[in-house]
Amino acid sequence: MMHQTIKRDGVETIGNPHLSLEGINKKYGLVEVISNLNLEVRKGELIALLGPSGCGKTTTLRMIAGLIAPSAGKIAVGGRDVTHIAPHGRDMGLVFQSYALFPHMTVAKNVAFGLEMRGLSRADIANKVAKALAMVQLGHLAERKPRELSGGQQQRVALARALVIEPSILLLDEPLSNLDAKLRDEMRTQIRDIQQELGITTVFVTHDQVEALSMCDRIVVMKGGLIEQVGTPHEIYERPTTPFVASFVGRTNRVKGKRTGDGCIRIGSSMIRSARPAVQDDVMVMVRPHRIHVDWSAASTERQGETQNRMAAVLSRITFVGDVIQYHFDVGGTEFIVEESTKKSQASRRQGDEAVLSWSVEDTLVFGADQ
Amino acid sequence: MTTATFDMPVGAQKPSSTAGIAVALLLPIALVNAIGFILPVFNLARMSFNEALPGGGIAEAFTAANWTGLLQDSFYIELILNSIMVSLGITFATLLASYPIALYLHRASGAWRTFLTVLVISPLLTSAVVRTYGWIALLAEQGPVANVIAAMGFQPPRMMFNTTGVVIGLTEILMPYMILSLMAGFGRLDPKVEEAARTLGATPFRTFWRVILPLTLPGIALGCLLCFVLAISSFITLKLMGGGRVFLLATEIYDQAIVTLNWPLAATLSMLVLIIFGAALAVYSRVLRMIEG
Repeated sequence: MMHQTIKRDGVETIGNPHLSLEGINKKYGLVEVISNLNLEVRKGELIALLGPSGCGKTTTLRMIAGLIAPSAGKIAVGGRDVTHIAPHGRDMGLVFQSYALFPHMTVAKNVAFGLEMRGLSRADIANKVAKALAMVQLGHLAERKPRELSGGQQQRVALARALVIEPSILLLDEPLSNLDAKLRDEMRTQIRDIQQELGITTVFVTHDQVEALSMCDRIVVMKGGLIEQVGTPHEIYERPTTPFVASFVGRTNRVKGKRTGDGCIRIGSSMIRSARPAVQDDVMVMVRPHRIHVDWSAASTERQGETQNRMAAVLSRITFVGDVIQYHFDVGGTEFIVEESTKKSQASRRQGDEAVLSWSVEDTLVFGADQ
Repeated sequence: MTTATFDMPVGAQKPSSTAGIAVALLLPIALVNAIGFILPVFNLARMSFNEALPGGGIAEAFTAANWTGLLQDSFYIELILNSIMVSLGITFATLLASYPIALYLHRASGAWRTFLTVLVISPLLTSAVVRTYGWIALLAEQGPVANVIAAMGFQPPRMMFNTTGVVIGLTEILMPYMILSLMAGFGRLDPKVEEAARTLGATPFRTFWRVILPLTLPGIALGCLLCFVLAISSFITLKLMGGGRVFLLATEIYDQAIVTLNWPLAATLSMLVLIIFGAALAVYSRVLRMIEG
C-alpha cells in the first residue's frame, strides 16, 4: 500500500528532490515509532506532515533537523547525505511549537544568534536582522525580551529567527497550535506568503487538517508511524486511498455495505454504486456530509440513476451551527449527517420528516471493511 | 439580592481583620526569631565592644579597641583574607564538581531522576563528622588515594592536615547543597531552547556558552552564595581535616572563645563573619539583578 503511494506521488513524479527520506526507521527500545518511511520533497515546496498525536510526524521532523538519529535509513538534502551530520551542520531553520526563544536575549539578539554562529560581520548581522524583523512586522520590538511579547509576536520572532539564516529547509513543528483562532488564520496566510516569497522548501507538522489543506502544496497523512497517503490537498480530500485518510481529513459519513454480483453495493435494502469498484465483499462506504443533497418532496428512491445514489431517510436531529446546518438522518439504522448552508426555508424542518438523500456516484468512497 | 453575596467573600470586606489574622499567624515565628536569633546577635555585637581582661575576664565597657586592634593586626587581616579566599576556592571547586551532575539530573526523568536525587541528598543524612573521618581515612599518608598516586609512579602530595585536605573535604560535603541549589535555579533551562540553538548552527560548546550557562546563572549564583556562607562558617571539617594547622576564621573564633577565653575578640570576629555574609548577600542580589535585567 505504502510503496504504491510513494511510487505514484514520490519517486516517479519528482525528478530531483531537495529533501529525501529513504527507508527511515526509528525504534525506541522495542517500539517502532517510524517504519520504513520514504518521502521526497521538491525544492520550494510546502509539505505538511499531517496526523493524530503519536503518528510519528514530530519524530520525523526531528530526524530531519538532526535532533534525533534514525535507527535506519538515509536523509539527504540537495543530494547530500546528512543522516550523520549534527544539527548545527545541517543548515535548517526550525520553529518549535513552544517557540523556544532564548529568554535571556532581546528579540534582535534572538534573531541574530544564527548569524553570529555563522561568523557574519556586525554590519551584515544588523542589516539582516532588521530585514527579517521587518518581514514579520516586528521591527519596533527589536529591543524587547521575549517574555514581554504576546504569543503571536513570539511566534513571529521564532519564524524570523529560523528564516534569517536562509536555511536550505524550513521546519515548522505545529507552529500555530498555541495561538487563538483568529491569530491562527492570520499567521496561516502570513507563513504561506513568506514561504512563497522566499521559495523556501518547508516541512510543516500539524494535526490540524484545515492548516494542511489550506496552506500546503502536498500533504503526507501519517498514522502509527506509517505514511497513509501522499498527495495534493485536492487528492487527499477527494480521493483518499484509505478509510483513515477519508475520516481524518474532512468529515465523513461511514456505513457498512456488501458487494453484490453486478458491481453494486447493498446497504440495508438500498443499492448504490461507487466510482471505484469494491475490492472485497464486505465494504465500508463513506460520503462527505456536504456532498449529499436532500430532496424533501421525493416520494420514492426507485429512480436509481447511473450517476446518482439515492436512499430514503428520516430526519432525527437538527444542529444549527450558524453558517451551516447539520441534519442527522436515520438511514435504516445508520446515522447519516448532511450539511447545508443555512437558508430561511430550513426553519420548517421537524424531527421525523421524511426525505430522499442523493449524492453523486463520484462522491461515493468505498473501502474494504477490514482496511 | 443573591448577586450581592457572590460579589465578595465575607472576610474580604474587612481588611483590618485579615491583617489581624496575618499578624497573629506571623507572631510565633517572629518571637522565636527575636529571642533565638536577633537578641543573641545584639548580645554578640554588644560583647564586641567590651574590654577583654587578661586571664579571661570581661570588663563592661564601650570601646572600639577590639575592632581597631583587629583591623590593624596583620595576622588577622591575613586570616580574614585567607578565609575568604579558601571559601571562594571551595565554592568554585564545589560548583565545578556539582554543575555537570545538576545538569544531568535536570535532564533525567522518571524513576531514574528520583533515584539519583535521593543519592545526591543521602550524604546530608550522615553527619559531617562521619564524612570527614571518611576523608581522613582516604587521604591519610598511607591511605588509598596516596597509594594509587604512588602506584602510578608519582610522589603523593600531602593531602591531610593542610588546606588541600580542608578544600577536598568541604567540597564534597557541600556538593549536595550546591546540586540542589543549581537544580532549583535551572527552571528556565528548557531543552527545546538548547535544541533551537543547535539547529541555528551553534556547536555543543557554543550552545553551552551562549545559552545553557546564561540560563543557569541564577542557580549558580544561589549555589555559590549558599556554599560560600557554609564554607566560611564551617568548623568541624576545618578542625579535623586541618589538624590544627590550618587557621581560618571559624577555628580562630573557637580558639579565642574556648582556649584564650577572649570573648570580646571572639565576638568581634563573629560579627566580622556576619558582615562578610552581608557582603556576600549584597553581591548575590546585585548579580541576580544583572542576570534578570
